[in-house]
Amino acid sequence: MRAVGIILAGGNSYRMRELSNKRAIAAMPIAGSYRSIDFALSSMSNSHIQKVAVLTQYNSRSLNEHLNSSKWWDFGRKQGGLFVFPPMQTPDNSFWYRGTADAICQNLNWLKDCHEPYVVIAGGDCVYKLDFNKVLEYHIAKKADVTVVCRELPEDEDATRFGIVKMNEDSRIEQFEEKPMAANSRTISCGIYVVRRRQLIELIEKSGQEARYDFVKDVLIRYKDVKRIYGYKINTYWSNIASVESYYKTNMDFLKPEVRDYFFRQYPDVYSKIDDLPPAKYNPGCEVKNSLVSSGSIINGYVENSIIFKDVFIGENCSVKNSIVLNGAYLGDNVHLENCIVESRDTIRPNSTYIGENEIKIVTETSERYTL
Amino acid sequence: MLPPYEKVGKTEWYTGTANAIYQNLAYMESFNPEYVLILSGDHIYKMDYEVMLDYHKSHNADVSIAVMPVPEEEASRFGIIVADEKGRIKEFQEKPEHPKSNLASMGIYIFNWKSLREALIALSEQPNCDFGKHIIPYCFDQGQTLVAYEYNGYWKDVGTLGSYWEANMELIDIIPEFNLYEEFWKIYTTNDMIPPQYISAEAKITRSLIGDATEIYGEVTNSIIGSGVVVKKGAVVRDSIIMQNTVIGENAVLDRAIVAENVEIGEGTVIGIGEDVPNKVKPKVYSFGLAVIGENAVIPAGVRIGKNTAVTGETAPEDYPNGELASGETLDKAGVVG
Repeated sequence: MRAVGIILAGGNSYRMRELSNKRAIAAMPIAGSYRSIDFALSSMSNSHIQKVAVLTQYNSRSLNEHLNSSKWWDFGRKQGGLFVFPPMQTPDNSFWYRGTADAICQNLNWLKDCHEPYVVIAGGDCVYKLDFNKVLEYHIAKKADVTVVCRELPEDEDATRFGIVKMNEDSRIEQFEEKPMAANSRTISCGIYVVRRRQLIELIEKSGQEARYDFVKDVLIRYKDVKRIYGYKINTYWSNIASVESYYKTNMDFLKPEVRDYFFRQYPDVYSKIDDLPPAKYNPGCEVKNSLVSSGSIINGYVENSIIFKDVFIGENCSVKNSIVLNGAYLGDNVHLENCIVESRDTIRPNSTYIGENEIKIVTETSERYTL
Repeated sequence: MLPPYEKVGKTEWYTGTANAIYQNLAYMESFNPEYVLILSGDHIYKMDYEVMLDYHKSHNADVSIAVMPVPEEEASRFGIIVADEKGRIKEFQEKPEHPKSNLASMGIYIFNWKSLREALIALSEQPNCDFGKHIIPYCFDQGQTLVAYEYNGYWKDVGTLGSYWEANMELIDIIPEFNLYEEFWKIYTTNDMIPPQYISAEAKITRSLIGDATEIYGEVTNSIIGSGVVVKKGAVVRDSIIMQNTVIGENAVLDRAIVAENVEIGEGTVIGIGEDVPNKVKPKVYSFGLAVIGENAVIPAGVRIGKNTAVTGETAPEDYPNGELASGETLDKAGVVG
């Protein structure tokens, strides 16, 4: 593959509510066994991109823990590999990343030292599989300056938290609005871009000199009339998880056989960090229906339409419905959950009840586990 | 990893446990260690070898053997060790009729390398040179200091189908003696499957361990299900061990079966029925009422398979007279039972 990868994983979103208190969005657990960034990393690995930089900032420790070894995504190699770049103090810079373009700008030397002619830029907060080779072929065929991966948003989803694009019949992007008050198109940007490396360096350097720091606003939108910016439409599964509602929905999508089949069984695989956990244990009295369960969990109670992540303990007479229980959570006996997301490593006291009435309830209860 | 290798002069397979070490003498010499810890790979236990080594050093031993107390009535199944109150070994009894002690050897040894090296060289011509049978008695006869290190935790040999099955079943207990879920002293493994397991709305699971990337649509009771296994709708799996990537067809019923990797079990097949008749080919191996299906086997739809049976390879309906493989029979299409 003639491209390097850059994953923008530094951002935070108030839409994640309490879930982003202790982790980066790119480190959000997905579908029982994965983290959000796995999908971008795996797509890059499966597209034979050999050098990837992950730019981190907000709550970066959670992400660093997940990226503890590059071998999980097959980036453990002598040449290229996985680079993690948090903001760094230098003689000429003492700022945090002030935006996506600034994050790339502060690591421009790395980009200049690369020899690959193209760059694939992606976020860490989307669930998808994509062969970047196809996007690159398209990019070259269209003689584009920047190619933006786009997709039609289903009618029931709110478009105003995305970048909205309008293309002409040649797929050139003529209008591009970031998170508009009212969307005038259902075509959204997936936050995945292909651009020639020297072109990117030129655009980013220019923006940096003009104190412009956002890649979408200050590069894509600002340059859309002078540069050839093209849209590459996908119609395979793609979902952004950067709001509690979409995070919940994306996880629940994995209860559908076609989604499971697409991600779990069809080539190519999605990779993730591997923990040495024992198999899940189903004790007498447990009842599990239409749910995903991950290894290391012990289940004594009733679970329905839910996603149980790794190392979860569910006590006797519990009932867990339409909920997501994140890694390492402990549910004492007689706990009742409905429409909830239980924060990881939480300890829920016995006889507690949490029900999300009009919205998904995020449960963060850090009771002392061994003094219950 | 040290498999047998071709060398100048005498080349042979590993003929015994000690012979395997003797053939790698040069490799051992390259480390010139003070002590050597010898273990088997077919035992299930958690042990801090450092404590045993401290014991070995503090007793000025040449050889330490880990032992564990076994019930008196079972002692005649083991290699029994008789030691004095200081732990010094006085006598060995191999599967004795009248055991003088209840301490059984666990097959875990610490040697002073000097002693082991000398014994290996002295016994280099011994056919099938084995630690328990040859090396330990040799050291004992040479008047070296042999001590017994008593271990009192869970230990299980899984060298037979029956004990393998039993050890797995014990893991299912609510709080098993051998607990895999403790934070401390984890058991590591290679793990090549990442996705979680899916349990469908019609599935029924109780008292079972289920691995990653499985899809369960049927009923699973008292069983161990390996990763990537699919148990289809209406299938029933009881008291069984199913290994990686096997597919159990719709409405199939399995009782006390051990099914190896990548097996396809047809729709409506019934395994583990009938009387407990000894296996005709290898009664000692295929026993305990277990039905054993070898790796990559294919079992056609609708057939019935009895107890103490073994099936390997790709089988077709015509391999089953009247659609049945009676208890005690062997169907060896892969030619591995011998």
